[in-house]
Amino acid sequence: MKKILITMSLILGVVSAHANTSITGTVESRCEVVTDISGYFGNPNAYTLTTLPASNGQIPQIRITSTLANAYKALVSYPTSFSSSPSLSNSVAFTGTVAIASASSSDMSGYAAASTVTNNGAMRTYYLTHAGTIYVTVASTAIHGGNKAFPGGQYVAVAEASCIAQ
Amino acid sequence: MYRSVILLLLLCGSALAHDMRPTYPSWQISHIPDVKVARMELFNKRADVEWYEIGVFDVNFKPLPFVSRYSVLKIPYLTQVKFDVYVTEANSIGAEYICSISKLQASEDNRPLVSSKICSRFK
Repeated sequence: MKKILITMSLILGVVSAHANTSITGTVESRCEVVTDISGYFGNPNAYTLTTLPASNGQIPQIRITSTLANAYKALVSYPTSFSSSPSLSNSVAFTGTVAIASASSSDMSGYAAASTVTNNGAMRTYYLTHAGTIYVTVASTAIHGGNKAFPGGQYVAVAEASCIAQ
Repeated sequence: MYRSVILLLLLCGSALAHDMRPTYPSWQISHIPDVKVARMELFNKRADVEWYEIGVFDVNFKPLPFVSRYSVLKIPYLTQVKFDVYVTEANSIGAEYICSISKLQASEDNRPLVSSKICSRFK
């Protein structure tokens, strides 16, 4: 009788151990903005500063990763003014382009066509409708008005990359 | 050799990132009457940035008044900081976004720097 009771309790113990096992998990969206390549200006002539490699500049590249589809939109803009510079006598004309250099999935091939432009063309909005990564380049050029030479000194311009939850 | 190459790739891949969670926060009741609180986390993987400014905005990105420990947080490289954002109950209705914006220091070179901004949205 004792043996039967011990055997029964062991079997019940094993059964109850299996019955209480559960696995839970949550999926949380997040967006990451990464500066893959820090850009810098080249100075091909006295009145131009440009990130173009042909003029000894470096185009910055930003990596934007969204882990969940349709959770974020990415806004990237090229600079439209210097954040710091020597005193300038003339106005400065900024031009630039924001473009997707590559993407982690072929599903994202429609991002460029679906993107919208605001802020007089300086800011481009990409709707991150798929989970994954896009690599965005931000080229910019600054020309001193009247083709006057830029005074010597330090020039800093800031490109902006934003991830806004939708 | 392989190990050093992999380590280099990992360091390059995560050296300059900025992320904030949760994506969709919610206002909670705080210990202060008529004041709501949202709890956020900010992780700094940008080696070139140590300071992040916090802001609360309405649907048109108009800034709204809020209180936090600091409006500009010092977050050392590879550090995660949890912070609370307090707004009045009236402002919590119109608040749409909490954003963190990297604060850049002047560079010594003629570099166009990259500013990053991440906004979470109340739904």
